[in-house]
Amino acid sequence: MRQVGDGTRLNSQERLFLSLAEQLTRPLLTVSHLSELAVADDPAALAHWQTVRAIADSSLQLVEGYTLSLRVHGKVTPLNLEPITISALLYDTAELLAPFARQYGVDVELDTGPRAQPVLADRAVLQAAFGSLGQVFVTAQAESEERLPVRLSAHRSRHGVVAGLYCSSTQLGVDSLRRARAIQGQARQPLQHLVGGPAAGVFVADSLLQTLAAHLHVARYHNLTGLAATLQPSQQLHLV
Amino acid sequence: MHILLIEPDRLEARAYVTVLERAGHTVAHTTMAQSAVHLADERMPDVVVLELQLPGHNGVEFLYEFRSYPEWQDVPVLLHTFVPPRELTQTPILQTELGVQRMLYKPATTLVDLCSAVQAVMLATS
Repeated sequence: MRQVGDGTRLNSQERLFLSLAEQLTRPLLTVSHLSELAVADDPAALAHWQTVRAIADSSLQLVEGYTLSLRVHGKVTPLNLEPITISALLYDTAELLAPFARQYGVDVELDTGPRAQPVLADRAVLQAAFGSLGQVFVTAQAESEERLPVRLSAHRSRHGVVAGLYCSSTQLGVDSLRRARAIQGQARQPLQHLVGGPAAGVFVADSLLQTLAAHLHVARYHNLTGLAATLQPSQQLHLV
Repeated sequence: MHILLIEPDRLEARAYVTVLERAGHTVAHTTMAQSAVHLADERMPDVVVLELQLPGHNGVEFLYEFRSYPEWQDVPVLLHTFVPPRELTQTPILQTELGVQRMLYKPATTLVDLCSAVQAVMLATS
């Protein structure tokens, strides 16, 4: 891999994408801030401005997730591993996702169980991953006739703490994710039976989770299927 | 309170000036480090809100010059920047020598957050 002169491990194409993503955050932030002002200034069009703001914020979060992924992969930004209470992190993610979901009339639910063990991870990376994934699931439900709630959930398994998002009992199978990996970077998004758009959030989430030596997999929990990651419990905090 | 806002993006600056003025502050805005020093001399700010990525001299260079004047050594500075926070924490000199009171990551900061942070910095130093 060619070094690009600043000590990072980004190749020239990644450097280009990083620059593009960083550039895109600026107009998105401006739209978000100006709509935040307009929410207060223009009560007659309140609902429209709330929509503009929610869409701008969610796009900003997606681009930020992609940027973070590139930065961590390229060693521009170091990983900050720490013990994380997964239920609190999923709660924060649900709070961030809620305004976007509200625009589409989709409910966001939280189910972390009574004793979800702390995990060793990078908080920003994990939150960006679940946030990106959540946007895809919300969009998918908005396009479906059932319009089921999107559920953020964490539970213990033999291999660690399984945390992810669930939305359907039938639409998501192992095959779809296998196909996803086969065509990643070469074709359109892999979950066409769930959502018709590009679903970039799935790729962003997977890329972010790979920085934590985890990856997305199809998971089943409480009669729902979804995409989740198995995270390593934090033994240190567990002792405390 | 008088705020010196150093922000290169004029559209963004318009939003920040509006929300800070609504909160009862007076705001002097400039896009560049060089003119910020002159503006600080004219307005004597109580707080500086600074983006690190500026055209010409960057925000760190501005801070070195700003802090070199005795009358501005205790003026609180709040970074409001596109530079990711975990990259800023690798530069402890910002807080230890250049007196940065607070760092806000722009993409994760609403206008309400910015106002609250300015208020908190003022309370902490008054």
